[in-house]
Amino acid sequence: MAWDYRNTKDFKDYYEERRLQRRIAVVFVLLAAALLFYLFNLWYLQVVNQENYRRLADNNRLRQVVLNPLRGTIMDRERRVIVRNRISFNVLLDREKVTNLGVSVRTLSRVLHLAPETIEERIARYRNRPRFEPVIVKEDVDLAEAAYLESRRLELPEISVAIEPKRSYDEGELAAHTLGYVGEISETQLGHSRYAGYQLGDVIGKAGLERYYDADLSGEKGWKRVIVNSLGREMREVPAGKRPTPGNALRLTVDLDLQRELEDAFVDKTGSAVFLDPDSGEILAIISKPAFDPNVFARRFSAEDWNQLIQSEAHPLQNRAIQSKFAPGSVFKIVVAVAALESGRATAAWTHFCPGYAYHYGRKFLCHLEGGHGTVAMVEAIKLSCNVYFYQLGRDLGIDLISRYAHELGFGGKTGIDLANEEAGTVPDEDWKRRTRNEPWWPGETISVSIGQGALEVTPIQMAVFASAIANGGVFYRPHLLKGREIRDGVEEAEHPPEVLRQIRLKPSTWSVIREAMWRVVNQGGTGTRAAIPGRDVCGKTGTAQVVKASAGVKSEHLAESIRDNAWFIGFAPREHSRIAFAVFVERGGHGGEAAAPIAQRVMLKFFEKLDRGKEPEQVARAPKLP
Amino acid sequence: MLERRSFLNIDWLLAFSVLTLGVVGVGMVYSATYGGPFTDRAFKQLLYLVIGLVVMVLAMAIDYHTLAELNVVFYGASLLMLGYLLLFGRAIANTRGWLELGPVNFQPAEMTKITTLLALSAFLAARRGPALGLFNMAGILGLVGLPVLLIALQPDLGTAITFLPMVAVAAFLGGIRIRTILILVLIPILALPMLWNHYLKDYQKTRILTFLEPTRDPKGAGYQVIQSKIAVGSGGLTGKGFLEGTQGQLNFLPAQHTDFIFALLAEERGFVGSMVVLSLYFIVIYRCVAIARAARDRLGVFLAMGMLALFSCQVLINLAVVVGLLPTTGVPLPLMSYGGSSLITTLAGMGLVLNVWMRRLVN
Repeated sequence: MAWDYRNTKDFKDYYEERRLQRRIAVVFVLLAAALLFYLFNLWYLQVVNQENYRRLADNNRLRQVVLNPLRGTIMDRERRVIVRNRISFNVLLDREKVTNLGVSVRTLSRVLHLAPETIEERIARYRNRPRFEPVIVKEDVDLAEAAYLESRRLELPEISVAIEPKRSYDEGELAAHTLGYVGEISETQLGHSRYAGYQLGDVIGKAGLERYYDADLSGEKGWKRVIVNSLGREMREVPAGKRPTPGNALRLTVDLDLQRELEDAFVDKTGSAVFLDPDSGEILAIISKPAFDPNVFARRFSAEDWNQLIQSEAHPLQNRAIQSKFAPGSVFKIVVAVAALESGRATAAWTHFCPGYAYHYGRKFLCHLEGGHGTVAMVEAIKLSCNVYFYQLGRDLGIDLISRYAHELGFGGKTGIDLANEEAGTVPDEDWKRRTRNEPWWPGETISVSIGQGALEVTPIQMAVFASAIANGGVFYRPHLLKGREIRDGVEEAEHPPEVLRQIRLKPSTWSVIREAMWRVVNQGGTGTRAAIPGRDVCGKTGTAQVVKASAGVKSEHLAESIRDNAWFIGFAPREHSRIAFAVFVERGGHGGEAAAPIAQRVMLKFFEKLDRGKEPEQVARAPKLP
Repeated sequence: MLERRSFLNIDWLLAFSVLTLGVVGVGMVYSATYGGPFTDRAFKQLLYLVIGLVVMVLAMAIDYHTLAELNVVFYGASLLMLGYLLLFGRAIANTRGWLELGPVNFQPAEMTKITTLLALSAFLAARRGPALGLFNMAGILGLVGLPVLLIALQPDLGTAITFLPMVAVAAFLGGIRIRTILILVLIPILALPMLWNHYLKDYQKTRILTFLEPTRDPKGAGYQVIQSKIAVGSGGLTGKGFLEGTQGQLNFLPAQHTDFIFALLAEERGFVGSMVVLSLYFIVIYRCVAIARAARDRLGVFLAMGMLALFSCQVLINLAVVVGLLPTTGVPLPLMSYGGSSLITTLAGMGLVLNVWMRRLVN
């Protein structure tokens, strides 16, 4: 043994022992100081800064979850639901509860009729997501599949069915453009102030009424707070929050019966039509064809489907009622007649001889009737739609006078309908020609405009509002689709009153000439006899517009024969105290009297049938509300 | 050997503080694992505490002089185990620190702390002369350096570093000269760049860099320190209550039953709880110093002060990490952190200190 410790009991050197004791004390003081320093640190963290750290801890554990409100339903004027929210079922796979992935995948594959590879690929997409987040295996499965899986929860604890509300357009393509559709908000929309408070993934109205009244329909979001753990899993709810407020239901001016009749009449046709109440501007039926099924947008649909929709030659997404711009054709003769009568350049008694053609500014302009109409006065000229008569009348008036009255009668400007992206159309004049084409007005163009051709462009909604103004004696109501809002479960209804935009005052004689002429068009062997309904005194005017926009002065006869003309028919009924006004437009339909007038007749028959039954829309009992 | 009279001389204050810290530790391990998959850990920790107490009593019972005489055996056995680990140890989480003996797994590095302490104290106690020269320092560094090197190679730098304060205190008390200190300080400073470039692992570099700039990696290494500070700070004055700490119970706090157990305590028990625990640690430190001063010979002084160095430096490093003053080091909080090897070793060391007190009077 090298050392004997028991002999070291005494410190040989007193100095050395004192130094040792001193150094022990130094170590103690250092350690005590360090502990004191820590105590100070803890005091600083826990007492001085506790609010700050408590907030940080709350930021960690509390997460705000947005509760989406149910979108408001859309009903017709008799409160029949057209657009509602249906319950859809999504099949979820909880990866944490999976015991044998192969078995789970095989079961899902069998029940959902999906290839196992598809399911595996969907699961793989969640690779980087927290494990507790369920995989959406299939969206919007049918009830049978959902029920099958739901009844086997005990055997398949990892598979669950989640409910999600989806927009449902029960009538399919009916009034598709008017109703519009919903979809997830786009990145550009997110940047817009109108969509403040929205976030990615939110469903908004993308077109039509869904878009125009999105603020009404979307309701108010609610929120709740949940406590989450470090992985983001919800542990429990905090008893605070706000329930979402469901969106307001919209009650439309549209009458589903008339709309269905109009849809049936338009099957296989391209074009559009608007029927409205001349005493309020309420739109009773409105159509644009070809249409699409808005339900497609409520699902997640493929890029192929989307491309097919937007690349189609027929432009099914375009709402023709407010966006298609075509020459009004002979319908415009009414405008020229009004201009002549009101300006005093001509009276209804003024006559003109129609030999079937006329020369103006060195060119030959044809009438549609070979051999001509002979000598005609104004009422007969409108009834027979004599071109030669109106060539001369237009020439006498000049383009600026025609343009002024066209604007007064609602052309060349938006009608103000409650839908986005309405087109204004074009009413040309000398100034317009200079501005847009930097060319002087060529007198021959006036001749074309006189019969509704040339650079003139009108929309079906403008034509319907025009017909309505003639019917009611010059009042321009804002055409509208919203009759009222039902705020929260139909408790409170906010009426959407008619709005008079302006009124034009014409001489009583002018009104009577125009109405007489339009009555004769339908009832006295004019061009629109196929719209006649006995006892209803239907008034109307046909129009046939060239498909290929003819440059000024080029006659339609010079165009390729394979291109059929567009058919217009506008009008109202009855002649006095009109109840309905309309414009029907059939693209490539041929003559207005043949293609468009029967459609108007069919819808009016339905309208008067309902009227006769005394079935005033407002008195109809409310349809039961659907979720 | 085990005189009745000596047992009446137990430093009850030290024993009480140590035991209380151990019990508080079991409670916090319970809270840390509550509702999780490892709820048995609190019970295990209690078991380790009981085993540790038995070991502590054993370390008290045998005269420390007898233990010091056997230091070569203990020290040698420790080195053998560390060497065995390096050659045959199975790597767990990239380090070979665990010795597997049937159902019992333990970290020889922990018990090496005590055997090295014994060897170092014996070496210093036997030395004569007024001051430590370079030759003696070389002896001290060799004695401690050998196990440190073996542990650092596992690699377990955190545990290896905890040996160094023992050297510092031993040298200081042994009577080191100022010029020796200077040389010893200069060498590490010069060696630092080499250490950085050739020895430190990437994760260790990341820890240091993240410490210097915590926002560097908020979700990575810096995340732990940030979450720990949030836990401590949000505890406030009186805490959120037992099992009510949101940072702990919702698992935002990392390693909450081991290295960050104090953060959990601070969150659930607040500044009051922190202060109580800190006071208990202070009592342990104070009693170790008192025992060293009362020791009957140099061996007793070095044992008590060496143990104090080992113990207090781990406490200080661990707490520094918890309050965000140091990067994550992997040093557990003695007596409280979950882990049998550390707890039992600490209790054994405290047994030695109590041993010195018990036999302070010459008989």
